Amino acid sequence: MASHGLTYEGCNFLRQRLVLSALSGKRVKIKNIRSKDDEPGLRDFEANFIRLLDKLTNGSTIEINQTGTVLVYQPGLLYGGTVEHDCNPQRSIGYYLEALLMLGPFMKSPLKATLRGVTNDLTDPTVDLLKSTALPVMKKFGIDGEGFDIKVRTSWYSRGMAPGGGGEVVFTCPVRKTVRPVQLTDPGKIKRIRGVAYSVRVSPQMGNRIVESARGILNQFLPDIYIYTDHMKGANSGKSPGFGLTLVAETLNGYFLSAEMLSTPQGQGDPILPEDLGRNCAKLLLEEIYRGGCVDSSNQSLALLLMTLGQQDVSKVLLGPLSPYTIEFLRHIRDFFQIMFKIEVQKPLEDERKGGDKVLMTCVGVGYSNISKTLK
Amino acid sequence: MPFKKQKQHQQKHSGPKAEKKKLKKQNGSTEEDERKRNPKAFAVQSAVRMAKTFHRAQDIKTKKHHVPVVDRTPLEPPPIVIVVVGPPKVGKSTLIRCLIKNFTRQKLTDICGPVTIVSGKKRRLTFMECNNDINSMIDLAKVADLVLMLIDASFGFEMETFEFLNICQVHGFPRIMGVLTHLDAFKNNKTLRKTKKNLKHRFWTEVYQGAKLFYLSGMVYGEYQNQEVKNLGRFISVMKFRPLVWQTSHPYILADRIEDLTDPERLRTDPKCDRTVSLYGYLRGTHLKNKGQVHIPGVGDFQMSDVNFLPDPCPLPGTQKKRALNEKERLLYAPMAGVGGVVYDKDAVYIDLPANHVKQLQEVRPTTELVQSLIETHVTLDAKMAASKVSLFSGSAGLDPTDISEVQEGLREIHVWDAHTQTQRRKVVFTGLEEEEDDVSGSSSDEDDDGSDQENQEEEDDLSTFLKEVRDKSEKATKGSTPPVKKRKLEEMQGEEEVIAEAPAFADSEDELERGEADSEGEGEAERAGDSGHCSKESEEDSDDEEDGDEDDESMEEEIGADDSDEEEEQGKYHSGTFKWKEGLQQKASAAFLRHQEAAPNLRKLVYGSVVEAEDSEEEEEELGGLFRVNRPQKSKKVQADALDCSHFNPDISHNWELEEMLNSIRDCFVTGQWEEGQDAATLLKEDGKSSGGGAFCSLYSELKSESDEDETDDEDQQVKMDDEEVQKNKRLEKKRRLKERFDTEYDDGDATYFDDLKEEMQKQAELNRAEFEDMDDESRVQYEGFRPGMYVRLEISSLPCEFVTNFDPHYPVIIGGLGTSEGNVGYLQMRLKKHRWYERILKTRDPLILSLGWRRFQTIPLYHIEDHNGRHRLLKYTPQHMHCGASIWGPITPQGTGFLAVQSVSGVKANFRIAATGVVLDLDKSVTIVKKLKLIGYPYKIFQNTCFIKGMFNTVLEVAKFEGASIRTVSGVRGQIKKALSTPPGAFRATFEDRLLMSDIVFLRSWYPVSIPQLYNPVTSLLLPVGQKDSWSGMRTVGQLKHDLGVRNKPSIDSLYKPITRAPRHFNPLHIPKELQKALPFKSKPKLLQPKGKVPRDLKRASVIREPHERKVAELLRALSTVHHYKKKVAQRAHHAKHKEFLQQKEKDEEAKMKRMKDARKKLYRIMGQKDQKKQRSSLKGTPQDD
Repeated sequence: MASHGLTYEGCNFLRQRLVLSALSGKRVKIKNIRSKDDEPGLRDFEANFIRLLDKLTNGSTIEINQTGTVLVYQPGLLYGGTVEHDCNPQRSIGYYLEALLMLGPFMKSPLKATLRGVTNDLTDPTVDLLKSTALPVMKKFGIDGEGFDIKVRTSWYSRGMAPGGGGEVVFTCPVRKTVRPVQLTDPGKIKRIRGVAYSVRVSPQMGNRIVESARGILNQFLPDIYIYTDHMKGANSGKSPGFGLTLVAETLNGYFLSAEMLSTPQGQGDPILPEDLGRNCAKLLLEEIYRGGCVDSSNQSLALLLMTLGQQDVSKVLLGPLSPYTIEFLRHIRDFFQIMFKIEVQKPLEDERKGGDKVLMTCVGVGYSNISKTLK
Repeated sequence: MPFKKQKQHQQKHSGPKAEKKKLKKQNGSTEEDERKRNPKAFAVQSAVRMAKTFHRAQDIKTKKHHVPVVDRTPLEPPPIVIVVVGPPKVGKSTLIRCLIKNFTRQKLTDICGPVTIVSGKKRRLTFMECNNDINSMIDLAKVADLVLMLIDASFGFEMETFEFLNICQVHGFPRIMGVLTHLDAFKNNKTLRKTKKNLKHRFWTEVYQGAKLFYLSGMVYGEYQNQEVKNLGRFISVMKFRPLVWQTSHPYILADRIEDLTDPERLRTDPKCDRTVSLYGYLRGTHLKNKGQVHIPGVGDFQMSDVNFLPDPCPLPGTQKKRALNEKERLLYAPMAGVGGVVYDKDAVYIDLPANHVKQLQEVRPTTELVQSLIETHVTLDAKMAASKVSLFSGSAGLDPTDISEVQEGLREIHVWDAHTQTQRRKVVFTGLEEEEDDVSGSSSDEDDDGSDQENQEEEDDLSTFLKEVRDKSEKATKGSTPPVKKRKLEEMQGEEEVIAEAPAFADSEDELERGEADSEGEGEAERAGDSGHCSKESEEDSDDEEDGDEDDESMEEEIGADDSDEEEEQGKYHSGTFKWKEGLQQKASAAFLRHQEAAPNLRKLVYGSVVEAEDSEEEEEELGGLFRVNRPQKSKKVQADALDCSHFNPDISHNWELEEMLNSIRDCFVTGQWEEGQDAATLLKEDGKSSGGGAFCSLYSELKSESDEDETDDEDQQVKMDDEEVQKNKRLEKKRRLKERFDTEYDDGDATYFDDLKEEMQKQAELNRAEFEDMDDESRVQYEGFRPGMYVRLEISSLPCEFVTNFDPHYPVIIGGLGTSEGNVGYLQMRLKKHRWYERILKTRDPLILSLGWRRFQTIPLYHIEDHNGRHRLLKYTPQHMHCGASIWGPITPQGTGFLAVQSVSGVKANFRIAATGVVLDLDKSVTIVKKLKLIGYPYKIFQNTCFIKGMFNTVLEVAKFEGASIRTVSGVRGQIKKALSTPPGAFRATFEDRLLMSDIVFLRSWYPVSIPQLYNPVTSLLLPVGQKDSWSGMRTVGQLKHDLGVRNKPSIDSLYKPITRAPRHFNPLHIPKELQKALPFKSKPKLLQPKGKVPRDLKRASVIREPHERKVAELLRALSTVHHYKKKVAQRAHHAKHKEFLQQKEKDEEAKMKRMKDARKKLYRIMGQKDQKKQRSSLKGTPQDD
């Protein structure tokens, strides 16, 4: 009766593996975690992530060997409920939130997770980005409702930049029994661009300077651009100074493409001018638009997961080029759910000026139903 | 009384009534419609009543709706499973035999295992007989599509029938058709009719009103009557089925063939070793994924080691238009019954030669089958040889012939025209080359080969030519829009012309680019914007810095993930005579295009590796020649394995967003960009104008314009015009479609309900599901979808217990049920359970029970509980009699909403109803929340005012500390609270109460104690039992059974025994009131009455008076006198009374008279007054007299 587990090596894609394990109920063993490194074993943020996962589940067993190079995870039942968690400041809340987004709809009781730590940093998608892109993606799959939100602005909210952190985010997610199959094949044209230029513990002028330069580039394409400036003072501003920009392009069919850029953390690397940041961020958005698709590059794996966990119907989604993270995710999906995606490259027509190649992903869902949800 | 004749009715022959009647007769009934003829009768009497009837009609209508589900039945559905059930000796085998004969004209004497037949052009049937074992009944109810329930009419219903019906109800209700047999036993026609009716109505209450019940009236030569069987067959072949939830969400197979594949040598050495078995059958339900987990009811859970699909042994006939099947198409497949003599496996052919069945069969099948098999062999011997591997050492990977050929004779020559040298060159094609180019990682291993090697040089040349070809192709592709696949063949024939016609080989690359751009400007749409962007960008880079070119390229390659840097490295080295950098430039441009071309097929490989051997691909990298393992530190892989876990997709550095070309390449992504023909607002507007009748001017204008367009096009050549026509046609079609869509949305959606919308949505999804993978070959389709239902598949399971094979009995069904995600795990299940009303005993907590849940049958120990008002789950000792209760078990994780049934034992046949309980799974969890009540009892040993010390409840200070603040109570109802532990005696504590306690009081603490569920999950392994004893599986026994079997009697506690009650007579002491108190009491409450009378002292006693005789006389006289006086007085009083009464009457009379008088007087007075008034009024009306 013991379920046959899967074995992986290396610490990369740890989140994917653990999340898929929790969803599929398959045991996972990860060996050789930084075994040749000077500091072998799991890092603090990974241990922190495992702790968060433990809070969300009931009956899961986690074994880590003495050096931390081997991790065995036997998933329990996804429980949900109200969870408070102090995230490790080595990674931003986005790192944890990405996993929670995948697990949230499949809990026993609706999730209300309060995460504290770094809200914005360079390595992970920031909370603002996830709020504006991941949630619409999930809504397409029928995960919707009143309590579905990432709140970045709680009553004692503070935006926390790397490396100090000190921010707080509340993620609430309703529970679904099944996920709807989707056909997201026509992205439509971009009708508006919105954005947030935020700055904490720096001059409030920074925001305006960012907006100015970003608009300079984007106005070549579209007049409907509005970038909000969000300046934080006092207790709300976290522990470290910094500023950044998140841009979101919305298409006619309700899809969102996004890009973001942040200042380098205090005391690390060269400081960046807000003008440069604005320009670069706008270019990143153009790059994202060039890639195109119905789901932007940071949420590819989320969309693919929800397709996999759908009913036994055909789902389609048009993506830009697959990111390495997504490619690995596809392999993992095959390992955990025995699902392969049909991958078709859609080349742009000759006279079309719609960016690069697109990838049409098609799959038949596994017919997953949320087995933790209680029947009344 | 004499009979009085009544007046007879006389018909009128004249007058208005007769006229009316006559008219009616002549015209007949003019109004057929009752409503019109007699409108009054149908008038609305009450609006409320009408609303009610309408409401009810709507209720009934909506009740008929089912939740719409996506229709996932495949195009070629699996055979329908028909399970024939009934008590023994009711005629099950006979019925199957008759039906088979009816459909296939073949006789099957022994019905063993499933029998599959083709019954019509679109339908196949699998018959399965269900024996009287409850295990088989449970298993088959789960896979049945149609149940033929045989009932012996001469006997009536038997318990098995009802048991099976209840099993069906729990596991989704398949279609059930009753068949009454033994009807010839009735001699009396009336009793026959009565019995039929009774049975029918009882059957209806169990299934549904109007369920079909068939009558097989009698036997002719040991078979049922032909006509009746034919009718039954017709019913079966037109029957429709509603999808059942469990069946449509799980793949399953009713195995019709089983082969033991275990190594014979292993069998010889260890006959009890685990067997590798392949199981065959039609896949049903839903898609089956390879390597998934399955459950075989009666055996256990297993991991499939391999699945593949085989050619259908019983295929549906082709789609020719004809009414009936011909003889050859009436197929019959029943390997377990010995039919289907030659069976094919993926790598073997089995020829079964049973003693008696083969003859009739051989006439029909084997020859054609053999030929068929030869035809169906797709792969040639060479290909098979190529696919085979040799391994020299155990543990090393197989040596591919391709490996060898690469070393030895991998060179083939192809004559190719080289445009650079203007000569015919012999191209060497490596058999492995193409694969290497495809395989991303494969090419990297060759990186360290020496570039100066002669062979390599040649290879590069070829490569370059190949690239060139591709580039040429691309150029052509851009001009004429024919697909590139076809070009590949054309290339070889036309290559020469094409290359010459193309730009000269040594042409300046910039010139060429300019030309390309000029072209694009001239023709407008000839050149792809993105492509030109690529070229220009590359040229720029190269002109900037030639050396850096390679690196730049490499970075670009990351975009696709390909790593063919060896091409790039070597490109610079050849063509020494010509302009080096310019040549390289061209090559790079073509290479870039090549990569684009290759991206499509590569992407799948990039993600999933090669299709066939996904697992082997990793090993291949590590091995060289299949012999030696290279112990090279896999640097790139390691780095990736321990890299930063981040979902960011770093942007492509090569895209320079400063350039106008790049910006232009995404112009159309915005609403401000150019729209497609169909969506452009301008064209849409124009079309609207055209379509509307009013826009005459518009249409005229557009016509004029189109004419002028035509004039222009006349100048162009014929080819273009042809294309244009095609385009125009498409456009017209597109326009029509859009118009229709608009029309539909305008007019159809008017009365569409939510239900209709939902149904339509489901319909669309079903169509999409069908269409998506339709035109793929099965081999690759299986990769994406899994094995789809309807396929004939072969499962290999590697570790089945040997008893499964040795004790195999084909009469028992072997079902392979696929398990969903995490359904293979075990956990706690919370369920709602109700004891079956026909089961005569209630169920006891912690008595083992056999559950049938999902695919599984297993024994487990349930705990029954009930939910209190505050949501607490309180343990029950027994299930309630007629009520639902909760049950918690340790068992396999099964989705909520799945029904289950429970039996206490599966062995033997009992006379009573065996199904003990039924229910549904509510919740799955990894922990339990059941509690039971626990009362801790203590005794006060020291009592102060409201505080007292209590002992005996706890044993240690620690225990008390845990319960500090807990509320406690005495039996008499005094409430209190635990305050603090006392040091001595251990476990004693101080508590306060709302009142003073007595020493005799008992204090108790009410608490809830969590109960743990025993973790027993014991699958019923009935299929592993020896043949003939399969219905004798027994698991864990209940405590009661154990005691009964071992003869152990409970020793009752002495305290609980009943004894005769002896009561001592009670003696009450007198109530003593202290003297002080008595004094203080008021007189009323003084205990005077209770005081016994004391003796009165003599002096207080009164002396008795004794009269003298004289005195006595006087007293006598006085008494007599007074008596007389009293009498006289009485008489006088009576007289006075009478007199007074008279007086009163007189007085009253006088009064009356007086009143009357006065009344008369008043009357007189008022009359006069009235007359006066009247007079006055009259005079006032007249007006005042003048003289006043």
